[in-house]
Amino acid sequence: MFNYIELLQEFIKTDFKLRYKNSVLGILWIILKPLATFSVIYTVWSNIMTMDGNYKMELLLGIMLMSFFNEGVLMGLGSLLAKSNVILKIKFPREVVVVSAVTISLIDFILNMIVFGIFCISTPVTVTGLSFLLFLLAVFTMYILIMALSLFLSVIFVKLKDIHNLTEVMLQLLFWATPIYYKLEMLPENLQKYVLLNPLTTIVMSARKGMVTGDIVVASDFKNLAIVTAVCLVVLLIGIRFFKKRIPKLAEYF
Amino acid sequence: MEPVIQVKNLSKSFVIPHQRHDSLVEYLSHPSRIFKPSGEKFTVLKDIDLDVYPGDFLGIMGRNGSGKSTLLKILAGIYSPTSGSVKVKGKMVPFLELGVGFNSELSGRENVFLNGIILGLSRSFLQEKYNEIVAFAELEKFMDMPLKNYSSGMQVRLAFSIAIMADADIYILDEVLAVGDIEFQKKCFNIFREYKKRKKTIILVTHSSASVRDFCNRAVFLKDGRLHFYDSIDGVIKAYEVG
Repeated sequence: MFNYIELLQEFIKTDFKLRYKNSVLGILWIILKPLATFSVIYTVWSNIMTMDGNYKMELLLGIMLMSFFNEGVLMGLGSLLAKSNVILKIKFPREVVVVSAVTISLIDFILNMIVFGIFCISTPVTVTGLSFLLFLLAVFTMYILIMALSLFLSVIFVKLKDIHNLTEVMLQLLFWATPIYYKLEMLPENLQKYVLLNPLTTIVMSARKGMVTGDIVVASDFKNLAIVTAVCLVVLLIGIRFFKKRIPKLAEYF
Repeated sequence: MEPVIQVKNLSKSFVIPHQRHDSLVEYLSHPSRIFKPSGEKFTVLKDIDLDVYPGDFLGIMGRNGSGKSTLLKILAGIYSPTSGSVKVKGKMVPFLELGVGFNSELSGRENVFLNGIILGLSRSFLQEKYNEIVAFAELEKFMDMPLKNYSSGMQVRLAFSIAIMADADIYILDEVLAVGDIEFQKKCFNIFREYKKRKKTIILVTHSSASVRDFCNRAVFLKDGRLHFYDSIDGVIKAYEVG
């Protein structure tokens, strides 16, 4: 009935157009920005700390995944309010707004992966078909998790602005509760348990195993990740129900 | 004949918070409170009953703050009723505001597609009708210019030209008659006559007695959230003018 997909495309396109409007390099920034960011990280970790190549690439991938998560959650959180001018004027499936915000962060992540590919020229990584599948499942799980959180946060944010600050703090906390700069094995054993409860830990570790480390991917890798995927899907379902229940009355609160 | 819009016992109230206790601690101790505001209840619409039949050109008159916009927003499905029911049959396009989603940084051309798709038109349809839209808006020379450089009249013309492309059975128009210069107004009025001829159902909210007299076959008067019916359109206009 409603042009769901076209509306989604239009929201996403508009966002990208606006981002690079009035800039000389325009669309090039999509690649230049992550390239610059990661060059800094890469240089710092190559020169200051002497680490093996794998570690640098693990770090890069970890940071990419975490910025995917951070940006996705924050954009999802603000998505309804950012589109209030449209929401108050016309009826359309409101979830399009959230889906477009989260999908934009996914597209950003994919573009970042192109930059990751550029870095692979100097520091090759080992990827097999099976390990790439593991990587894709990890990215999919991340997308589902961001979407699930955004469905809750976007609705709550309309009513309670504090949630933005609270979320930012939580994101910081989650960042350090995920093995990005450190390795899980470096932690004391009793702490490892808790860090593994963080779904991002499994997602990041699976993605690294799939894309960087070259370790043989075995069935238990998929099993561990699949458990997290299933949990995220359940949270997504609850999120959809919460969103559907709250959204009809939400227009009055803008 | 079956009504296309059926409003029964519709009431709508808003809660005006007395004092904002948005403190996080308070909310966290009662999370459900986030969505259960406390404060004074303010009833905007009271027991509205209204049937609109196919081909009706219904005028709604009322002073500022009488609840017209709230009523339209409920008909358009943006607000949900506090009690009562609203049934709408057929495709409805509400023009509560022209140029929904317009972005001042984007060019006129880009805005045609953005706004059109938000209105529910398909991209291929917009491509097909693009030249017609531009011609109607009389903006051939300006389509690659960012919208922020348009005059307000030009923006409204563009918005209106896109809006009329939306093919629906029911149109809801809120004070959009008074746009542009006389020439453009004439064009708009012709479009309304065309709708009327094609037996479209239209709900028009306006302060202009002349528009109601010209177009409407029925009219109602909304005062303090209640609908008042009169035998004739002139009766409604009189009631509106008296207040």
